[in-house]
Amino acid sequence: MKLYEHEGADLLEKYGISVPKRQLVTSVDDKFNIPLAVVLKAQVLSGDRKKHGGILFANTSTELNKKIKFLLNKKIKGERVEKILVEEKVKGVKEYYVSFSFSGVLRAPVLAISKKGGSGIDEADIYPINPLLGVSPAFIKHTLLKSKFLNEDIKPLSEIIMNLWKLFLEEKVVLAEINPLIKNSDGSFLACDAKIDYGKRRAVEKMDGDIAIIASGGGASLINIDALLTAGGRPANYAEYSGNPPKEVVEKITREVLSRPNIKACWVVGGTASFTDIYETMKGFLAGLKKIKPKPKFPFIIRRDGPRAQEAQKMLKDFAKKEGYNFHVYGSETPMVETAKMVVDVAYSKKKKLK
Amino acid sequence: MSILVDENTKVLIQGITGTEGSRACREMLLYGTKVVAGVRPGAAGQFIEGVPVYNTVKDALKRHPDINVSLIIVPAGHVKSATEEAIMADIPLINILTEYVPPIDSAYIVALATKHKVRIVGCSSIGIISPGKSKVGSIGSAEIRHVFKPGPIGIISKSGGMTAELAVVLGKYDLGQSTVVGIGADTIPGSDFLDIIKLFEKDKDTKAIVMFGEVGGAGEEIVAEAVKNKKIKKPIVAMIGGKFTHMLPSGTVLGHAGAIVSHGKGGYNSKIKALKEVGILIAKTPEEIPLLLNKILKKKQ
Repeated sequence: MKLYEHEGADLLEKYGISVPKRQLVTSVDDKFNIPLAVVLKAQVLSGDRKKHGGILFANTSTELNKKIKFLLNKKIKGERVEKILVEEKVKGVKEYYVSFSFSGVLRAPVLAISKKGGSGIDEADIYPINPLLGVSPAFIKHTLLKSKFLNEDIKPLSEIIMNLWKLFLEEKVVLAEINPLIKNSDGSFLACDAKIDYGKRRAVEKMDGDIAIIASGGGASLINIDALLTAGGRPANYAEYSGNPPKEVVEKITREVLSRPNIKACWVVGGTASFTDIYETMKGFLAGLKKIKPKPKFPFIIRRDGPRAQEAQKMLKDFAKKEGYNFHVYGSETPMVETAKMVVDVAYSKKKKLK
Repeated sequence: MSILVDENTKVLIQGITGTEGSRACREMLLYGTKVVAGVRPGAAGQFIEGVPVYNTVKDALKRHPDINVSLIIVPAGHVKSATEEAIMADIPLINILTEYVPPIDSAYIVALATKHKVRIVGCSSIGIISPGKSKVGSIGSAEIRHVFKPGPIGIISKSGGMTAELAVVLGKYDLGQSTVVGIGADTIPGSDFLDIIKLFEKDKDTKAIVMFGEVGGAGEEIVAEAVKNKKIKKPIVAMIGGKFTHMLPSGTVLGHAGAIVSHGKGGYNSKIKALKEVGILIAKTPEEIPLLLNKILKKKQ
């Protein structure tokens, strides 16, 4: 889960890292207490927001109001702007880059620093951190000297990097990045944009299509959505539960996924499970489905197998018959990829009926 | 033969009194695995499915010095200390099932394990099964245990959910497995693909290897490098999930740092390209995997 920039800025401040004066704006009626000139930053999670018109500047209050009106509810790469961060305009003399993240290859956290920060950055010096030792002031000093930072920068930067490490460690995030870290003419620093990522995926992510997906298992759901796209399907969402969740989890995902408009079919899919209780999880699916009004008329392709799968299949078939739902229920005898084609066929009525 | 677990495996379960811990215990006993002890601080004297529970790993080892695997199923926040306890007791193989362990904790225990020459499989591992011999973890529970059959294929999967599915698909062509290992898909893996492939490389009964990967990390690229350098000679069939993930709002994970630190590795295209270049066969669907395996095995005869 990535944090929005304004949430990241709050977190940096909590760990003693200076950020520009700022205010979060959600409506054109908000009152301002930030001195002009300011920069307006759309709060969206996608990158490249400058290129897509998400960063604007204002020198007067008339200009500020006009631009807020323009930016609110605008869509940036499909994401609606609901909040704007209005920030004092910082004119620094230098832009640096600093981040803590993980290297899967080294199986360790790494510090990345560069004297050339800003939006175009694609290279930085990388310093692996011994997970058993962590980060010490001596380590930071060593890296800054090795990367040839100015002598006058070493003390203030060391402090910022140490505070960022504390944030990285205590918040247990997978990424803590400041870019740019702006150096002012008086030698002080301000963190002008932060990316903080907790690493966990949101349970449901919206996509643009019309086939609702309730997938089980991280790896299986990845190849299943790949297969759906190959078959010409348009996924409405990415949603996945793994492990052996209580039925409430599946119920919640089902409700969220099926409450979207313009769904043409629903695909409930997963590999043959080793320990997921298929009966329990399908009970959760039915509980969620019952709450969807009006009752969906579109077809459901269900492919599940694993512990208690036979009981689950019987329950699903009985439910569909009694309540009048259009279910097609399959097990491991039918390849997952095959059911991707089936759901595309029924969703776009390529075939009137399945065998 | 097989790798990691077999008839001589003697398991300790840390977190045996929890719902998933006791369930895994029951399922392992049903499969014939020798589960000899469990640990749960403060629960000494209890029995779970007839298995004695101790307060500490040290206490368990005192009574059962032949323990050679510890299975860890404790809440994510306790994984670091539980694993540290098992490493300090020199248990040679630690299998961690717990999901959502913070990577900073994983990095710590993986570094500690490396220092003490202890092997970790996980976190987020579904377990390890050597069909017909023994299994550790939740892999192949209940009626699903029967889909895993002994045979010449070694399977390594980041995805736990795909392990039984792969066994089903291979089963349709009578391709059994020497050992199936769920390595998890965490940022910091205790064992990566190559760590396990090296074991299969030395195992006489494993004739071919299936690698089920997904976007993220560089484990697949590292395998390609090892094949290129002729460190791995056994044939490998790979399948990679997540081609579509760049379409997701969260798809561009890790922003600048991701690109800077991983040097462009980790994406779908990077993985497929690296694997193909060294002759590893790529399956586009699970159903293609047994077809490719049969092609390889016939060629070898």
